[in-house]
Amino acid sequence: MTRVVAPRARRFGAARGVSVAVALVGLGIAGYLTVVHYAGSAPVCAIAHGCATVQKSAYADLAGVPVALLGLLGYLAILGSLAGDGERARTLTAVLAFSGFGLSLWLTWIEVGELHAICIWCVGSALCMTALAGLSAVRLMSP
Amino acid sequence: MSQAPRRLLAALGASAVLVAAGVAVSASGGTGPAPPAPPASATFRGIPEHDGVLGDPKAPLTLTEYVDLQCPICAEASKQTLPWLVEQYVRPGKAKLELRTLHFIGPDSERAAHVAAGAEQQGRLWPFVEAFYAAQGQENSGYVTDAFLRSVAKAAGVDAGKALAAADGELALRRLERADADATRLGVNATPTFTVAKGDAAPTVIGSGVLTHAKLKAALR
Repeated sequence: MTRVVAPRARRFGAARGVSVAVALVGLGIAGYLTVVHYAGSAPVCAIAHGCATVQKSAYADLAGVPVALLGLLGYLAILGSLAGDGERARTLTAVLAFSGFGLSLWLTWIEVGELHAICIWCVGSALCMTALAGLSAVRLMSP
Repeated sequence: MSQAPRRLLAALGASAVLVAAGVAVSASGGTGPAPPAPPASATFRGIPEHDGVLGDPKAPLTLTEYVDLQCPICAEASKQTLPWLVEQYVRPGKAKLELRTLHFIGPDSERAAHVAAGAEQQGRLWPFVEAFYAAQGQENSGYVTDAFLRSVAKAAGVDAGKALAAADGELALRRLERADADATRLGVNATPTFTVAKGDAAPTVIGSGVLTHAKLKAALR
């Protein structure tokens, strides 16, 4: 017997697939920033953009943990939560994505308002978190 | 209320708590006054400095470093590279060192660069820069106050009053303009960047960042 998937359900299934893809992009960005953070002496203070400025600022750590590493762990956790599609898994994805989105907003504000430096990688990660927050809200509202 | 909006609200609530905690921790760690400058080291002791040029003016090699005083990697290079360069090349008269102070990170960089130019007029640019790095604070936090600069000047053996007065002068402004012009001409787009000139030849870029001794050795051959 062929199982018929309703268009609405297919749309929400696609949201999960897109979430996985976006989370993988975010994971790549956070992984790169984590490597740069621990490489220490590799980054320079670039005139063209502010990644080194941001990475070397006091805001680059949260209670001693590099923000880049927190991002990496966050994306891994989101990917883990996307393995399931039940109510609990969707709620967990949403909590993680909303938290990542909120913290990304705060850190972007710090870049612009405090450090006067924009790190394009951080902006990329913030966009991923924004997309994940939107997608997880859609999944949470789905039947 | 149906299940879906309730789940959404619960997720938003839990996230708000997590975000608030993260922001609180982040905000508490981001500010704070810069520490006072420790006394200057012996790195430059006994080496002549004229118009910001450290070492024998007739030395065959001219090594120029492009910096922003707020740049943490410049501070790292100052600790890891400069003492070695001074001992191996400047003190024996093989090379002289020049500095170009850029100010792209923010307003604190610009104020610092101006006062560094004031210290240069007293023949104490290099000790001033070293003392500045030792007390370097949070970028663009407004830490480069007159009190901070006085503390740095004192540690570097610079007359703070004269340096601050000279910072607003024409000579200091010309120093900053020369640094910008040289950086543009050579395509310097990061700090610290090192260049080398052999004799009267045009300078060439060695590289940016904390350069290894081997790389510098090869460039200064």
